[in-house]
Amino acid sequence: MTGNIVRLEGSVCDVEFAKGALPKINEALIIKINDKQTVMEVALHISETRVRCILLGQGDGISRGMAVESTGNTITVPVGEKILGRMMNVLGEGIDGMPVDKSIPRRSIHRKAPGFAKLNPSVEILETGIKVIDLLAPYPKGGKIGLFGGAGVGKTVLIQELIHNIASEHGGYSVFAGVGERSREGNDLWSEMKASGVIDKTALVFGQMNESPGVRMRVALSGLTMAEYFRDKEHKDVLFFIDNIFRFVQAGSEVSTVLGRMPSAVGYQPTLAEDMGSLQERITSTKDGSITSVQAVYVPADDISDPAPATTFSHLDATTVLSRKIAEQGIYPALDPLDSSSRILEEDIVGKRHYAVARQTQAILQRYRELQDIIAILGMEELSETDRSTVARARRLQKFLAQPMFVAEKFTGLDGKYVTVEDTLRSFEAIVGGEADNYPEYSFYNVGTIDEVYTKAKKAE
Amino acid sequence: MENNSKSAVLYYSVRPNKEQEKSLLDFVKSKYGDDCALKLVSDISMKDGFRLVCGNDTYNWNKKSRYEQLKKRINEISASADGNIIPLIRESVENWVPSVYAEQVGTVISVGDGIATVSGLDEAFLGEILIFNGNVRGMVLSLSEDKLGCVLFDSDGVVGSGSSVMRTGKIAGMPCGEGFLGRCVDALGFPIDEKGKIEAKDYRPIESPAPEIKDRQSVNTPLETGILVIDSMFPIGRGQRELIIGDRQTGKTSIAVDTIINQKNKNVICVYVAVGQKASSVKSVYETLEKHGAMDYTVIVCASAADSASMQYIAPYAGCALAEYFMNKSEDVLIIYDDLSKHAVAYRSISLLLGRSPGREAYPGDVFYMHSRLLERSARLSEEKGGGSMTALPIVETKAGDVSAYIPTNIISITDGQLFLETDLFYSGQRPAVNIGLSVSRVGGDAQTKAMKQATATLRLDLAQYREMEIFTQFSSDLDDATKEQLKHGQRLMAMLRQKQCAPLSHHAKIIYLVCAKEKCMKNIQTDDVGKFLCDVVVFAEKEHNDLCERIDKSGTLTDDDRLIITEIAEKVVNGYVEY
Repeated sequence: MTGNIVRLEGSVCDVEFAKGALPKINEALIIKINDKQTVMEVALHISETRVRCILLGQGDGISRGMAVESTGNTITVPVGEKILGRMMNVLGEGIDGMPVDKSIPRRSIHRKAPGFAKLNPSVEILETGIKVIDLLAPYPKGGKIGLFGGAGVGKTVLIQELIHNIASEHGGYSVFAGVGERSREGNDLWSEMKASGVIDKTALVFGQMNESPGVRMRVALSGLTMAEYFRDKEHKDVLFFIDNIFRFVQAGSEVSTVLGRMPSAVGYQPTLAEDMGSLQERITSTKDGSITSVQAVYVPADDISDPAPATTFSHLDATTVLSRKIAEQGIYPALDPLDSSSRILEEDIVGKRHYAVARQTQAILQRYRELQDIIAILGMEELSETDRSTVARARRLQKFLAQPMFVAEKFTGLDGKYVTVEDTLRSFEAIVGGEADNYPEYSFYNVGTIDEVYTKAKKAE
Repeated sequence: MENNSKSAVLYYSVRPNKEQEKSLLDFVKSKYGDDCALKLVSDISMKDGFRLVCGNDTYNWNKKSRYEQLKKRINEISASADGNIIPLIRESVENWVPSVYAEQVGTVISVGDGIATVSGLDEAFLGEILIFNGNVRGMVLSLSEDKLGCVLFDSDGVVGSGSSVMRTGKIAGMPCGEGFLGRCVDALGFPIDEKGKIEAKDYRPIESPAPEIKDRQSVNTPLETGILVIDSMFPIGRGQRELIIGDRQTGKTSIAVDTIINQKNKNVICVYVAVGQKASSVKSVYETLEKHGAMDYTVIVCASAADSASMQYIAPYAGCALAEYFMNKSEDVLIIYDDLSKHAVAYRSISLLLGRSPGREAYPGDVFYMHSRLLERSARLSEEKGGGSMTALPIVETKAGDVSAYIPTNIISITDGQLFLETDLFYSGQRPAVNIGLSVSRVGGDAQTKAMKQATATLRLDLAQYREMEIFTQFSSDLDDATKEQLKHGQRLMAMLRQKQCAPLSHHAKIIYLVCAKEKCMKNIQTDDVGKFLCDVVVFAEKEHNDLCERIDKSGTLTDDDRLIITEIAEKVVNGYVEY
């Protein structure tokens, strides 16, 4: 079926079809601009003969009356083991310089979330090798994890460190969806994965920030569809990374008003919660297999109450909040130990010992936070003896939360450190218990285990 | 719809005779089909000739249009001639035969606030340049069923409701070429410096897709700014985007200008895009660059505060198109957008006037995409694509030091790092006023020479810790010696990072500074004397150990022996100073 463009604004266009030949909602249409094919997706039926579509490409060069071809199908992406090692775009086309084999089975990117009976929530801890995460906000296997942070506090570095630590250890497959982030990072990730060999077990899908909102709205679904197939058909445990889920919402809001919807709070689309829900509910672990997903969530204008991050919170099993104040002190990963949380930080899941150490650590840091104003006004001298020792321990803990990362070696000049959960517990026990009180503060900064603190302090002497 | 109502209308001042009428009808039928009828209408506003209108096409046959044709023809000839043009003009006038051709003409429905809605022009496409009355240019921004929305680039005084509009068939673009170097142009590529016409070699659309992931390579060559605090801790690589952010009057533009000046003899082409700036500030940038001989490799694209919002909106894209022209020729380019907060404001006013709904801070929803697609065009191209690069230094102005406002955080999340300039530091004399805690360069280490990497080491982390310690201890009287030592060292490091404007440091000078800091050669120098002391060390080194300086510059490495020599020099210089 062929239709014609009648209206175009931003990346939304209206297409007129003959009566009775209207393409379905979510169907993919194709338009040729100067011999280049651009895909669009039907979003709304606005009359018996007209559909409103979202362009998955640039609108420059489109004029009224241009012919539009309907495909009879939604957007599909290739799935299965043959996509491992490949870098693709939202339509499942190779962007690594090689075409994708036509014989690879494809699946529609629009699917329903698994039914209630199939779900299988998990309660096992996933070791990340990052001290502060494993101790205070442990990640559940098969769960959904969010990394919240404003601009430039280190979300992408942390997600790459997690890929480095988990994906390389983890035997299963990984899918990485780059949603509306920097193209340069795409390039860096790709070369890094090729160098480390992780690429053989990974599929990469990119729709970066230079692409039109339509692409950024759909690319997370493309990646997810690939991950779902591994879970459902090949019964694998899959790691699914999304950087950055906020861009998915943002792209939706860019097209929302041009689609003719009224804007909701802060200019977001009225369908924000549904958009997020229908995506997040598909990312889940079932009896067939599991998807552990790590999602970076950008916090616009450092405002965590912004509708986009606020809507994301309720979908997650563990949240890691990165803070600018901590990044400013040179402590990386700049994780806020008092704002981050995890559903599985409970006595019967992580064990009595882990739970106790974590809560004690938080209590000390909390006390220090309360005392900070007093110190700023009156100075340390005015504090009681116990408070002084709490402050001393809190400052050591704070410094100890910093950990050199493998993927940041080139920035810091320090070798990355992987710390097992056991080592983490032992180290924090020592600090909380006061065994390490006599070592100078700086020796706690940017080290792995407590043993390194001792050696660093000795060396300085 | 329009197929049914096919008829041509002839407007005339003097009614054509029967013979003329028949030939006109034949022409209309041969062009638009046999069923097309011809209607004759008298138009007393026309002085001579006639005008034939059919659908979108208009044929003008009167003195004025013939004059226009002749003018165009003469212009074409004189543009390509060098030397004696009189005979050429004579020849072209003698051989000129006026012709009739169809022009697509639309009509302005409404106009105001720099926005026009136009009817007709069915084939006009998104992004096309249209020409209005009085040679005013506009760009198509939206197409709807019976009209199109345009922004006007010039003042809309001469464009009125009912006036005619013509297509150009060209997408909005920027003429490009080597001739632009040393020149100052507006956002459409027309010179504003009265130095004559610029010969363009190419015409590039202002919007073009960013290089794909596979066409890029990682950033690994330094682009030295000559500013110690940046090159040591926040190194910028070719192809990187590093944001310069800070309140007004904190030295943002100075950093950009110093960087341009430092590119002298380094084969880097610079493009300075001024958006919504005072025209006089742009002029003084121009003069500074001229004075330092930096205009030879620089183009200034200027859309000043007096220009229309649409001009300010397209200026960065136009500058970027120009930079891309050079990048695709395997050149290294540095582009400065000064500044993108004003660009966002210009876009906000356009989009509110077009009736799009406002979001956070009344900016439209796609304000992020507007900046992301611009900045993503900066890249280091792969060797297959020629290996050129475009480094971008966008500038953003904050209000009262609030980096976490909407536009600043948007742009921070696009760029590969930011240099945050602080008012407090600026007035306390710490200039360039770079806040070390909040600034970062994500591409960083890869784009530093080995020598710089060794000499810098953990300087940034040391300073961040120093600042934290300084705040923590400001009310404490009894500090232990180690802490006192740490604070003293920190003060000297901060003093070392002070640098005057337009005084870029060479590579070896920076290394010498940093080695002195690392080896704590300054511990017995008064904080106020640190700058002078380091200067003396460099002068001494250049005089006595010129080979060392050259070796560091050339090889980009630093051996242990070199470090010893530098320490020795420093010690000699220290002895000339009074201890305290």
